[in-house]
Amino acid sequence: MFLNILKEEQWLNEHLQKGYQCTNVSGVGLYTFKRTDKAHIIRLDYQDYLSADKYKEYKMIYEDFGWTHIRGSRLGSIHYWQKTADSQNEIFSDRQSFVHYYKRLMNYSLSLAFTFLIISYMIYEDSSLYQTQGLWDMEGSLFWKAFLFETPFAIFKAIPLFMILFFGINYYHAYRQYSTLKEK
Amino acid sequence: MKHKLLPLSETMHYILLALREPLHGYAIMQKIEKMSKGTVILAAGTLYGAIENLSKHGWIEPVSGETGRRKVYKITEDGLTILKIEHQRLLHILSLYEMSESDEEI
Repeated sequence: MFLNILKEEQWLNEHLQKGYQCTNVSGVGLYTFKRTDKAHIIRLDYQDYLSADKYKEYKMIYEDFGWTHIRGSRLGSIHYWQKTADSQNEIFSDRQSFVHYYKRLMNYSLSLAFTFLIISYMIYEDSSLYQTQGLWDMEGSLFWKAFLFETPFAIFKAIPLFMILFFGINYYHAYRQYSTLKEK
Repeated sequence: MKHKLLPLSETMHYILLALREPLHGYAIMQKIEKMSKGTVILAAGTLYGAIENLSKHGWIEPVSGETGRRKVYKITEDGLTILKIEHQRLLHILSLYEMSESDEEI
């Protein structure tokens, strides 16, 4: 599973170049491939919530251009588009639309980071990572046993913090792309 | 204040010009490829985004009464006004090209 859409696209295309095509992407981030003779290319787009009408038009235009929709929901998600490689292997053909794409990625990362910030706040508001009363006052082997016992739980509780960090880094990556294009 | 889409990008400019006749998405790309002698080939995401953007500003609109599966678009009165503004701007720039250097010093 990837948390960075730009790296994910790159990794998928490296895999397709070895003679595969992608047939499915599952919700937990598992990819299914099958062997193929034709070179394939995959592109990832992100779209916010689209009305049923707009979503129909969005898919219609991509499909007319030869792209196959592998995964994506109209309720705001990454869309996986694949086609056989030819002279047009991009989904964006001018700088303006790349700028808008990176802007959408920035907003997406930011909203996810913010969601996990709220979750973290709710979790940590009235408890610390290590819950055992007086853990830090224990001594010797008793402390180590209690500490090691609690650590997996503490790591589990810290997941939202890692997520904030991940999406923060994602935001930064998208911002870097965005600002270099914007300055040119 | 000048509109934020002005001056028009090459993509937007070509789409507005192409939609002086009603066309659906893919046909817009094909027409622009011909109009530009093969120099401007729009990609799917760029075309979708541009259609959304131009519709949002009311410069193009879906043609009502179309029954096919594909939405057909056409330029609006506002869109034609924008093309007139751009036409004037480009004519002025062309006139600067044609001016000799001695004229520039005035």
